[in-house]
Amino acid sequence: MSPLTLLWVLPLAGAAACLLAGRFGRTAARLCALASSCAHAGACLAVIKPFIAGGGAGLIAVGGEPLAFGVSYLLAADGFSLALIGLTSFLTLVCVVSSWELEVSAAYWANFLALASALCGVFLARDLFIFYVFWEATLIPMFFIIGLWGSENRRHAAVKFFLFTFAGSVFMLLALLALVSAHHGATGVWTWDLQALKSAPLGAAGPWVFAGLLLGFGVKIPVVPLHTWLPDAHTEAPAAGSVMLAGVMLKMGLYGLIRVAFPLFATLSEAWAPWLAGLAALNAVYGALCAMAQTDLKRLIAYSSIAHLGFCLLGVLSRTDQGLAGGGLQMINHGLTTGALFLMVGFLYERAHKRGLADFGGLAVRAPWLTFFFGFSMLASIGLPGLNGFVGEFMSLSGVAHSAVPLLSVPFFAVAGVVGVTLAAAYALPAYQAVFWAPEAPQSVSGRVTDLDAREKGILWALSALMLWIGLAPQSWLTLIEPSLRGLVR
Amino acid sequence: MILLPQAALAGGVLGALGLGLLRRPPALAVRALTFLAPLAALLLLPMTPAGLLPPLIAVDIKCLGWQLVIYAAALPLALRSSADDVEAALFLGVVLGMGLLTAAGNLPMLFLALEFMSLPAYLLVARAGTGEGGRRLEAAVKYFFAGALAGGLFLLGMALYYSQTHLLGPSPRPVGLLAQGGVTLMAAAALFKIGAAPLHWWLPDVYEAAVPEVTGFLSTAMKAAAVLFLMRVVQLVPSANFAPLLPWLGAASSLFAAVMALRQESLQRLLAYSSMAHAGLLVLGVGAWARMGQSPVAAAAILFYLGAYAFMSNGTFGFLAATGLRTRAQLKGYARRQPGLALAFAALLFCLGGVPPTGGFVAKLLVLWQAVAAELPGPAVLAALSALISLGYYLGLVRDLYFEEPVMESPAPGGACARILVLVCAFGALALGAAPLLLKDLAGGFWR
Repeated sequence: MSPLTLLWVLPLAGAAACLLAGRFGRTAARLCALASSCAHAGACLAVIKPFIAGGGAGLIAVGGEPLAFGVSYLLAADGFSLALIGLTSFLTLVCVVSSWELEVSAAYWANFLALASALCGVFLARDLFIFYVFWEATLIPMFFIIGLWGSENRRHAAVKFFLFTFAGSVFMLLALLALVSAHHGATGVWTWDLQALKSAPLGAAGPWVFAGLLLGFGVKIPVVPLHTWLPDAHTEAPAAGSVMLAGVMLKMGLYGLIRVAFPLFATLSEAWAPWLAGLAALNAVYGALCAMAQTDLKRLIAYSSIAHLGFCLLGVLSRTDQGLAGGGLQMINHGLTTGALFLMVGFLYERAHKRGLADFGGLAVRAPWLTFFFGFSMLASIGLPGLNGFVGEFMSLSGVAHSAVPLLSVPFFAVAGVVGVTLAAAYALPAYQAVFWAPEAPQSVSGRVTDLDAREKGILWALSALMLWIGLAPQSWLTLIEPSLRGLVR
Repeated sequence: MILLPQAALAGGVLGALGLGLLRRPPALAVRALTFLAPLAALLLLPMTPAGLLPPLIAVDIKCLGWQLVIYAAALPLALRSSADDVEAALFLGVVLGMGLLTAAGNLPMLFLALEFMSLPAYLLVARAGTGEGGRRLEAAVKYFFAGALAGGLFLLGMALYYSQTHLLGPSPRPVGLLAQGGVTLMAAAALFKIGAAPLHWWLPDVYEAAVPEVTGFLSTAMKAAAVLFLMRVVQLVPSANFAPLLPWLGAASSLFAAVMALRQESLQRLLAYSSMAHAGLLVLGVGAWARMGQSPVAAAAILFYLGAYAFMSNGTFGFLAATGLRTRAQLKGYARRQPGLALAFAALLFCLGGVPPTGGFVAKLLVLWQAVAAELPGPAVLAALSALISLGYYLGLVRDLYFEEPVMESPAPGGACARILVLVCAFGALALGAAPLLLKDLAGGFWR
């Protein structure tokens, strides 16, 4: 079995093993999940390390064994894919460890591992049929994760999450079908191979097909008018579910744009770039403004994700080396920082069963470690120099300012980005202050909050170390993602 | 030789009638006959060659493919039917009628087969099962009137067609307005049988009132026969006037049914509307098939859809039969009581919703693909919207099943046979998601 196949089969096998182990009790299932996610992380490292050692410019590919309907089993991984697969694997491990003490059935672990498998499949597939199948397959485990283990409003949020994404991807599917049919019309060959489809002649239907793809990916990012599923899903999901949602699943949308939509429609994507950049700028500002208005800590972080994804999109749209690398890096950064923040809100919720800003106060005295890690991740998230968020946002915005794409280098977009960065501080710092540093109000539930234990601290140390590493020495990460991104978008 | 499967079924009908002559027909023999006759028809299918018995019978590859789906879709009801000899004869009569319809070589034979398949079906709806007899009788009468109307339309259309062309089969040349009108009337009869809006008014009542197993049979085997019926009508003339309408009609019908299903409280009525939504997609597929010069690829896509749907619909109605659940309220929290059955039902619902990697996804994909390839973007977008709305209630059912607390007593589940049937259907529906890719020789034959 090729190592790339192993990357998506391993967690799936782990999911099945967890279900079987569940027959022997909850501890067995838990141990099985830990073993599977460790094995997956090991497999990822085993693939990524030689790749980086080789300069990061190569491409690992698997076969193209043709199946029916023009579909072929085509997997490939460049640095960008590998970085996201690494992130998936790492965050899955984080989720398993952070949920260790939850009293949940084996299905919980199985769903997380199945999700990791589908996500890896998305990042590996180079055949659009396979890509679409994996893309949709991610929805089923997440639907159950939100619906079965979420908080009060979980039922509604689970269905909303599924329907919104499906709404986008149905039109994406129609667009792909049009593309495949057009290619067949011109060449007489049925194929779903991404590389081959670049030459599909679409004629007047081109803008519609591109719009279908944008709709599919835009819902997932989410781009602002299509974002309304996100706050509900992220707020209602269990902590680990929010980590996967924000950490990896939002990246699917950008990944799809970069991997599929932009290469297939090089001219159109350049022509539409100013409009898309306008939406991205709107994301950055509107997401931040919404976050300022929140009284629920988890919802606040959910809205901040919308803002952060706006920066990523701006960077990618600029088509400069800096912007691309910054956008790509910011995808990883957001996974780490927002993942850490959601985890900590989860720890708070486990202890106090509340998430409101007004429900706490004075936690700095009661839980100093939590205060430290929360402050650290939050500063990383708003872009303090020396931490990872700064590198990503700075590169994205400077890329936009130097962009050669017509209309994109006008100061408007960069200025909107800077406004977004400023607003980030304006929503994050008051929230941090209210929860951790303000005096305890009489109705406060801070009394229930105990400080982090060793397991929780361990997870957060790992996440924080990565944030610091990227912040101080981003070069090793950039060598992984930059060459492949440059090849993709230009 | 070319009518081997039909002969097996005819033998079954005669056998059931013969057993009925005994004072007390042996239950085991009746059950065995009911199950073995369609099974024998299915097993004889690979030995059946294509051929002609002019002018009545024409067996082509499409006919054989459709028989495969019809007999397979009839098996669950065959397995679950009661030991009543009259019911056995009625059921086998319906299947025989369907078998004859697939092989009909000219219009009078098509009409005969249509009636042969329909008349016992009305009685089957009225008679099968126990309890609530009044409602079933009412539904059967409604079904009968709708069917009689369809039959009348068909006869009138045939008369008009014959009066101008003097043909009882396909016309090689373009025909005049009168004959076109006749063909349109015949197509209306077919759409009646399929249950496409606006000729669907009988469908929700009948599908709701019949016992779930019978509804499963009607929504799969009967639908397959009716779709082939429509395709035969389209084939009558080189360019039928109504054919360009079919994609729009199908997509609109699907959309309408999806919206109607959203608000249903009765599970069986919800699934009835869901079945109508699927039928709309099939009509869209027939429209695409007609537009692309009756391409075998599109026919294969329709057949695959029918095959996948046979598993899905028999499975979901089988679930209702096995559990005795009637309303959505009873479904709440059912996964805690019967995890295995609930998992199978959830898998079937994801299949019906067309979520990858299931057979339902591949089926929807193939039909939508044909619509896109036939340059029908409008109907394709409507159909996609319908799929999206449908997913709303399928997910709603999964939510009820898994995420809600049990609120009321649900009836005790049925026997092992019914449960195994649901599991087999769920497995089949899931497996069809991978099969077309792996069985590339089979699919590739159609595809090239």
